[in-house]
Amino acid sequence: MAIDTGLLTNIGFYVSISIIFAILALGFNIQWGYTGLFNAGIAGFFLIGAYVTAIAITLPAPPIVIAGIPVYPGHLGGFQLPFVAGALLAMLASGATAALVALPTLRLRADYLAIATLAFAEIVRIFAINLESVTGGTIGIILIPRPVEFRPPDPFLNTTAIVGIGALILFALLFVLQFIAESPWGRVLRAIREDEEATMALGKNAFRYKLQAFALGGALMGLAGSLFAVTLVYVEPSVSFAPAVTFSVWVMVIVGGSGNNRGAILGAFLIYGMEFLSVQLKDFAPAALKDTIFYIRLMIIGVLLILLILFRPSGILPEKKRVLR
Amino acid sequence: MAAISRSESPPGTERPRWRWEALRPTPRFRRQLLRGLLVALIFIGIVAGLALLFGISIIQYTLAGFVVGTIVVVAAIGLTLIYGIRGFANFAYGDLMTLGAYVALFANLLLGASLPWGVVLAFGVLAAVGVLLEVLIFSRLEGRGPVPPIVASVGISLIIQNGIRAGVGTQQWNFAVTAIQDVVIVPGLGIHPVRGIATLVVGLSFMLSVHIILKYTNLGKAMRATADNLELAKATGIDTKRVTYAAWAVSCAFASTAGVLLGLGSVISPTMGFDVLLLIFAAVILGGIGSPYGAMLGGLIVGLSQEMSVPLLIWLGRPDVIGLEHATAYKVAIPFIIMIGVLLIRPWGIAGRPPAFGRRAFFVERLSRALSRKPTLARKVKRDDIGG
Repeated sequence: MAIDTGLLTNIGFYVSISIIFAILALGFNIQWGYTGLFNAGIAGFFLIGAYVTAIAITLPAPPIVIAGIPVYPGHLGGFQLPFVAGALLAMLASGATAALVALPTLRLRADYLAIATLAFAEIVRIFAINLESVTGGTIGIILIPRPVEFRPPDPFLNTTAIVGIGALILFALLFVLQFIAESPWGRVLRAIREDEEATMALGKNAFRYKLQAFALGGALMGLAGSLFAVTLVYVEPSVSFAPAVTFSVWVMVIVGGSGNNRGAILGAFLIYGMEFLSVQLKDFAPAALKDTIFYIRLMIIGVLLILLILFRPSGILPEKKRVLR
Repeated sequence: MAAISRSESPPGTERPRWRWEALRPTPRFRRQLLRGLLVALIFIGIVAGLALLFGISIIQYTLAGFVVGTIVVVAAIGLTLIYGIRGFANFAYGDLMTLGAYVALFANLLLGASLPWGVVLAFGVLAAVGVLLEVLIFSRLEGRGPVPPIVASVGISLIIQNGIRAGVGTQQWNFAVTAIQDVVIVPGLGIHPVRGIATLVVGLSFMLSVHIILKYTNLGKAMRATADNLELAKATGIDTKRVTYAAWAVSCAFASTAGVLLGLGSVISPTMGFDVLLLIFAAVILGGIGSPYGAMLGGLIVGLSQEMSVPLLIWLGRPDVIGLEHATAYKVAIPFIIMIGVLLIRPWGIAGRPPAFGRRAFFVERLSRALSRKPTLARKVKRDDIGG
């Protein structure tokens, strides 16, 4: 073939993961950017979406024992639903859990919600690692079928198909969310962020709106998890859903501009681009930096968080200023 | 100040002053002491009963709970101080603990100092780090609500954690302490002299010193006033800036000691602090944010509930009960279940003060109100009947 499909596959992988992070960022933008609800457990909702989809669409996976040694604990599954059903189930599960987690803390100050969600994400991860008969333990769930599978396996075409599906979902989401943001419902959310008491004085049930916004954001994170499961074709609990994922999404939304959907997407592509480059450049880095480049990347994210929140909290694409007419 | 007000009273009417008058228990304190003793007695009774029913291992778990609880208490006091005065959740606190443990480790292994000197060095270094953080970052975020400081503290957490990973490496370390066997109290019940007894002693002395600082020094009184109402404290002439610096220094110094105790109990690794951060938050919220005494209570509850749930979880893990795999791994989730329960019923914590404008309708109250709506209507009708 004339074109270098290896490089293109690599770029396609970057774009597909960026799309997943963009959906996560959009979900967080509804919660934090519009409503002012601070979610510190993005990784938890992401995980629920990924596992629900993985369990819904895989073949049955009984435990594997070779010569008396358990090799793979197996996982719940064998439903073999189509991807669309898996994604809808994932959204439902993540959205419902988001509502449940938010229920006791939404009436309290923002930091209670942050701590409760962080605790929730860690508990979910503990369950994913230890509840082996459902989740496959530390190995996770493997052999997840792609929504569009090319035979014989062609990494380039498979990646292209995933990018296409992801882009379709992302554009549809952007369209719907822009519409929602301009709707009366979105206006109430922004009003709650600016002054909750004044909004309540105007007769709006702030608690109900906050719950709806939080659940919607959680559902989007579940959708991102669902796409993640079919992009990697496996899910494992220790790296993909660590708290660092949550912090990355924060940086994306704050860099791009909280309260601005296009900004959230831009931030996701930029920050994941940086992470992706740091992994790609690992082979070219000097020997002394080779092992530590991953950690240095996380340190840079930390420095970025501090500098941005200090000096440019509105991000690259700030929220549109709305003036009373 | 007390001397001035005394001199205003006419001479001769002054009562003979007891030398340690300040330490005389007030009636309120006596009441609290009585209540505390009662709770402790009930707790001892329950543990003794459980031990009679299920064997002596229950007491072993209780002791482990006290040791873990003490570490959480020391950390939670430091966290709640900053939470009360600066009004935000310091997500970098766990990593400040890690940093403290690594500073002590550096003194212990590279400088060859004994561990107590390492603790002292870590105490001083971390106090300076705390003041530096306030000067460089957090003072600029004042008045922007609780979330921007949280984001900045996560940034600090990432920098410390990954700085240690990049600089020192990801391997696990141990303090150079001579290995000692557990001291056996009764057959089947033992306690480690360093990990157990020393931790308890250090924790108790920290609790006592916090009590003395907060109750009997001007700095402590100024801290309590600032945590209670910043504007009012400023208006009274308290130098709140200095109080904030002092609070950061104390908070981070406590973090260092808690980190060393934690490293003494298990191993020192780059994520050791972050892994226990949630337990500390649970303790702070349980006790009531900003209340050091609440943090003590919450820390003990967290430690005890986590360790004493182990036998229950082992029982649940038996194949004839539920057959939960890796059942004891879930012990860290138990404090959060308690925390969520407290958030539902008393969001201001066990020892915290309810909000000023009456009790807001929280989830449980709404539920109970919804359930008892019918009787209210019936009463209304009856009253109308009388009126008619």
